[in-house]
Amino acid sequence: MLKKVTYLLVLVVAMMALVACGGAAETGGGEEAAPAEGGEEAAPAVTELNILWAQWDPADYLQQIGNMYEEETGIKVNIIQEPWGTFGDRFFAEMAAGGDAWDMVIGDSQWLGQGATQGHYVELTDFLVGEGIADTVTEATLTYYGEYPTGSGRYWAFPTEGDADGWAYRRDLFEDPDEMAAFEEEYGYPLAVPETYDQLMDIAEFFTRPDEGLYGVAIYTQKDYDAITMGVENTMFSWGADWKDENNNVLGVVNSDRSIEAVQFYRDLYECCQVPGLSNAFFSETNDALISGQAVMIMNYFAFFPALANPSINPYADVTGYFVNPAGPYGDQHAALGGQGMSIISYISPERQEAAKDFIRWFAQEEIQAEWARLGGYTCNKNVLQTEEFLNATPFNPAFAETMNIVKDFWNVPVYGELLEVTQRELHQFVVEGVGTAEEAMNNIAEEHDRILREAGLIEE
Amino acid sequence: MSSVKQATATGADTRLQSHRHLSDRAIQNIFIWPTLILLIAFNVFPLFYSLYLGFTDYSAIARQAPVWVGFENFRSILNDEQLWEYFATTGRYAVASVGLQTLLGFGLAMLVREKFKGSGVITTLILVPMMISPVVVGLFWKLMYNPTFGYFNYLLGFTNPATAPDWLGSRWGGQAVPGLALWAVVIVDVWMWSPFVMLLVLSGLNAIPEYLYEAAVIDRASSWFQFWRITLPQVAPLLLIAILFRTIEAFKSFDLVMGMTGGGPGTQTELIAVNLYRQAFLGQWRTGRSSALAYIILIIIIAVSNLYIKYLNQMRGEG
Amino acid sequence: MASFVETGPQAPVTEAIRVDKVSPRSRLTRTVRALIVIIVTFIGLIPVFVMGITAFKSRADVVAVPPKLVFKPTLEGFVYLLTERAVLTQDRLAEAQAHIDELNWMQRIALENGQEITGPSDYVFRLKNSAIIAGVSTIVSVGLGLLAAYAFSRFDVPGKGDLLFFILSTRMLPAVVVTIPLFLMYRQLKLHDTHLGMILLYTVFNLSLSVWLLKGFIDEIPREYEEAALVDGYTRLQAFFKIVLPQALTGVAATTVFSLIFAWNEYAFALMLTSERARTAPPSIATMLGRGGIEWSAIAAGSLGFLIPVVIVTFALRRYLLRGVTFGAIRQ
Repeated sequence: MLKKVTYLLVLVVAMMALVACGGAAETGGGEEAAPAEGGEEAAPAVTELNILWAQWDPADYLQQIGNMYEEETGIKVNIIQEPWGTFGDRFFAEMAAGGDAWDMVIGDSQWLGQGATQGHYVELTDFLVGEGIADTVTEATLTYYGEYPTGSGRYWAFPTEGDADGWAYRRDLFEDPDEMAAFEEEYGYPLAVPETYDQLMDIAEFFTRPDEGLYGVAIYTQKDYDAITMGVENTMFSWGADWKDENNNVLGVVNSDRSIEAVQFYRDLYECCQVPGLSNAFFSETNDALISGQAVMIMNYFAFFPALANPSINPYADVTGYFVNPAGPYGDQHAALGGQGMSIISYISPERQEAAKDFIRWFAQEEIQAEWARLGGYTCNKNVLQTEEFLNATPFNPAFAETMNIVKDFWNVPVYGELLEVTQRELHQFVVEGVGTAEEAMNNIAEEHDRILREAGLIEE
Repeated sequence: MSSVKQATATGADTRLQSHRHLSDRAIQNIFIWPTLILLIAFNVFPLFYSLYLGFTDYSAIARQAPVWVGFENFRSILNDEQLWEYFATTGRYAVASVGLQTLLGFGLAMLVREKFKGSGVITTLILVPMMISPVVVGLFWKLMYNPTFGYFNYLLGFTNPATAPDWLGSRWGGQAVPGLALWAVVIVDVWMWSPFVMLLVLSGLNAIPEYLYEAAVIDRASSWFQFWRITLPQVAPLLLIAILFRTIEAFKSFDLVMGMTGGGPGTQTELIAVNLYRQAFLGQWRTGRSSALAYIILIIIIAVSNLYIKYLNQMRGEG
Repeated sequence: MASFVETGPQAPVTEAIRVDKVSPRSRLTRTVRALIVIIVTFIGLIPVFVMGITAFKSRADVVAVPPKLVFKPTLEGFVYLLTERAVLTQDRLAEAQAHIDELNWMQRIALENGQEITGPSDYVFRLKNSAIIAGVSTIVSVGLGLLAAYAFSRFDVPGKGDLLFFILSTRMLPAVVVTIPLFLMYRQLKLHDTHLGMILLYTVFNLSLSVWLLKGFIDEIPREYEEAALVDGYTRLQAFFKIVLPQALTGVAATTVFSLIFAWNEYAFALMLTSERARTAPPSIATMLGRGGIEWSAIAAGSLGFLIPVVIVTFALRRYLLRGVTFGAIRQ
């Protein structure tokens, strides 16, 4: 035993020595890497820009925009795609090392707090406001994709891909005369796209027929990261509830009566009408539920709807319709936000930062944004969003344009990850596992959020 | 091999022996040091750097120096009831999956021990599940378990999704069945890793000297006696190594669970390593606290391993 | 049976000696045993079979309810796996359809799904990376592990217990936590995204299993055997190579297979420590996950292509893997 203790002691000493070296090496390296890179590039001649994004179709569209930029300026633009599941891990690991592997990132709205306060992003307030670029995009997108802290007027990203939750539904079933008659007889009003969540529940109940293998809805339930929170948010916001008030208070806000009611509704919807097996479902699973003909209505981000409009993927593509997240019982109507803004990494050389700004300046022009939308990207440009061309480009664009006016978001503070762990756990426990009550779940969330926010100094005593 | 018989006959040549002793030491060093140097070079820094971080308030992405907080992280972890629940889940998972793997692996090894026509090919085929990437295993079992378009229920005879078990959702015919999801994960782990145990046990079985059995035959010992007194003790060391490695992996496993259930429903399959990943990455980046948690896991693994190793040495001493 | 010829005269496991083989029930029990084994094997292979057929299913067939066993096979999954594609707009789609005769079979399959092929995917390149990294690291870790295991087994190494425990402990810390320090270290040493870096990492990771496993096997080989050879005038090295090594082949084969499987399939480190040049295949299989739905057939095709090399290696080593360490006769 004594021998083992000595052995351990020796190792601990070795550790201390190594930590000292490691720490020194670490700080040295970050500074070392940048000039070396810059020296190689020889000052202003930036010939390539690397932009990190998630692996999905919009990134392919952006690559085509990048190719246009190369034709015009000779500067090559590479969109580097990382799979969604590890996009965040990869990005932040590189930031941890102060790495300059990418010049820009198209990051989640939730990352703004970390990107801004921890110095990974270049502040773009002067650039976006000063050059009028801020005015070209809708107000909501500028706030949610670019601003931190919320309401401060400081901007860190150019709103690039707008996105939010909406719904897709089986138009053929909604328009079937027999179904319409049967529905009206049972519920006393005609079957149509639901305008309120109560109607959505009626329709979901009506179409849930296990014997036919048909179910009312497919909604988000995934526990991994943020999915079930994003799903529940859709009801919470439409019930007029929120995660916080203006002063960042959460007690009595998160666990308000309306909020509890909304969560209870989500659970009821899951219990009654969710496609079986979707106890851990996110965007791919809900899409698959519609494609396989099991679900009548599915919740998803607009960015994932192109797959549903593609007849070779979705056999019901021609009869799939889309609608905006319905209103709650008190008249509020909102939708959970997705989407990303383009930020410049602070660890690249000033020349590269300038080159990155040049790209954003070029990309923000209305005709480029129109092309971006034409390719399938979700522009945040005010004018482009209003054009007939945009609204007619896909069957879901009208619903998208409407949704972008009513979006709301989860926290974007640096501790959002901790806040998420709590909501994911409590909501999954209540909605999917069926344990406890909505009130207990929301009380727990409120208490823990309060503690986390206080520890982080975001709620003042 | 004629030398074998001479071995007992030849007396020791001391001069030669001492000369050989020297070169033995050289060989010993040449054989051991490359391994040790590699392990030290690549493990000591990460291992001890993360131990140091365990005593600090630090986020890897914050680009602020770690702040020394003493035992604060350890205190907060040990006081976190939620985490103890995850440890308990991990314990249940480890016992169930390693136990079943041992039984199944051992049974399979006993079955394929006797060669039959094509047994070589069959035995190799048994190993296939182990060869698939864990990421892919998680994905495909999620597809298999799907109560509507998955094959698992279908092959078990549950063709009506309304009354079939929803394995990963811990529900059966609309009723909550707590623990179903954990069993679903255990089934996959057992499916994947029983072949590992089988192969090691099989090597051990093949290494049992024939004369032991021959002696047993002469003594007219029963097959039962042979199993308990010859087969099991002879195979035990390799079996224990297999169990040791599987136990270590069970405490560390997260990718399979993350892919299939994400720790749900609720917290039913939230293994400690899953939660560790959640704290270390996934937007949280609490590097300090997660390092401390990792070390607590490490201490538990060391304690469990020590038990095994003690047992292993005991057995070797006897054998 | 071929192995008997290979192993030569020292391998006469005289079948008649075994108790269970003298028993009159032997024939029947043997058949029953074989049957049970075959049934278990086939049950165990069902998920692999599902993977196999999924690779040839169309997107709609994968999620059909109830699951389909009979379906129209398509190579869609393989096309998705091997190419990069872009979705065609309506007008360009019509244009492409007009020129369908000029397209090869891959482009046609892509066109059926409203897409055009823009280039080959990274899959083959990454498979090559996987082969280099997993192959070299396996050889090195088994080689080094064998030497160390022999020394630990045969010599009175000072602090043996502690050293062995240290070697084992390198495998105990959850990988999640060493990822960050390793990431920082690799950037410093410029090993980030290099083949060398990944080879070293996997070698180190496999060494603990390799040392422990091989020591287990070498311990089983009677010392008398090589001591006799030493007395006979063999040097230690000769005794090691000519006597111990052949006897330890089963262990070497088993260790090789396990190390290869780990290095071949490793995902988390590969994801964090590589980006382009040295990225292996497992992370790229996972990337096929999300573009608004899971491309099951492409994932299945990729997984299948990725599984086959390991299966081939294992089959090639099968003779050694399953052969007994047959030194029973020596002790007589």
